[in-house]
Amino acid sequence: MTEIPAHIAAIARPSKKLWPYYVCVAVMTGLGFPVTIVVLFFKYHTMRYRFDAEGIRMSWGILFRQETVVNYARIQDIHLSSNFIERWFGIARIVVQTASGSAMGNLTLEGLTNCEEMRDFLYSRMRGAKEAHAHPATEDGLAGILAEIAGEVRVIRAALEKKRDG
Amino acid sequence: MGSRWKRWFCELLRVPPEPQPPDGTPASIQTFLAGNNYYRWRVIQFCIVQFFIGLTIAAMLAAPLLSKKPHTAQFITVWTFIVAGVVSGWALAALCGLIRITLDYQMRWYIVTDRSLRIRSGIWRVNEMTMTFANVQEIRVNAGPLQKLLGLSDVVVSSAGGSTHPGASHAARFAGVDNGDSIRDLITDRLRQYRDTGLGDPDAHKPAPLAAEDAARALLAEVRALRASGVLY
Repeated sequence: MTEIPAHIAAIARPSKKLWPYYVCVAVMTGLGFPVTIVVLFFKYHTMRYRFDAEGIRMSWGILFRQETVVNYARIQDIHLSSNFIERWFGIARIVVQTASGSAMGNLTLEGLTNCEEMRDFLYSRMRGAKEAHAHPATEDGLAGILAEIAGEVRVIRAALEKKRDG
Repeated sequence: MGSRWKRWFCELLRVPPEPQPPDGTPASIQTFLAGNNYYRWRVIQFCIVQFFIGLTIAAMLAAPLLSKKPHTAQFITVWTFIVAGVVSGWALAALCGLIRITLDYQMRWYIVTDRSLRIRSGIWRVNEMTMTFANVQEIRVNAGPLQKLLGLSDVVVSSAGGSTHPGASHAARFAGVDNGDSIRDLITDRLRQYRDTGLGDPDAHKPAPLAAEDAARALLAEVRALRASGVLY
């Protein structure tokens, strides 16, 4: 398993720009502001990311704690999205989808400032991203075996030539 | 829309520039755009909706005036202001809608490489979706009667999963393309590379057994056996 880049592994929290965005979201709920702001406050302060060699782990919440783990190899598609307000704050979100039946996105990474870099990283870990052809591993394996055969035949030829020359 | 206005709107809304293609062989990268008639199709849809909204507004505003009860001059004045406000608001909303449709048509990209596809769309909410062909489960080409008349179709490429949430759907939509069949054939051709289920199962990493590989292994075993037998020495 290849290691992940240090700057990706170092991401453990959303950007600080997420909090003012959450305030805007709460303001837009109108009368729901007092409740929404409390929920988003705790969500922002408890949101944690962990990127390791296997996959992504995201958790948030105090009373109702949510933790989601997604393996890179299980990622089906990656959505990079941002609304007008998020773009003004310079953040975006990445929704990672797996093949589960969840009606929402399986994992939403919010408050990312380096979203395109993160998208490219996740893409590089998806199945099929590095496979230029049908079955590269098979072709590599076949090439390796054929190389071994060639080596064996070379040894046999040398042995026969030695025998012939007496 | 003029490039100057377009640039101004894009800067105002902080819309990112054209997306970078996903990894793939450079020669395989193909960028598709929505067909010219897609814009007409969206404008026709928009006009139909606006027509019915206009009718509804007109009916609501005219109803009090059609009553047999005599109206005071003050009522007429107030009502005129209300009518002017509602009609202005409707016209402004219609203009914004038309701008949104125009920009949405111009800022829409469908990129296909030999390994994956990337679709970018949207102005207010910019959505970009990346999907590898290893995960594709289904391809559909949809076209309604009016779309067919305009030579348009939607190519929908789906991966596994049940999400229908907007902005997080499992379907990549090549909306309003005028070469739907060739896009379908291109993606079908790309899919021929993959024989697994596309569900990320661990076995999917193992190569499918190939006759050539089996033959090579058998040959290797024979050659090794020949050398090990000692007849050559």
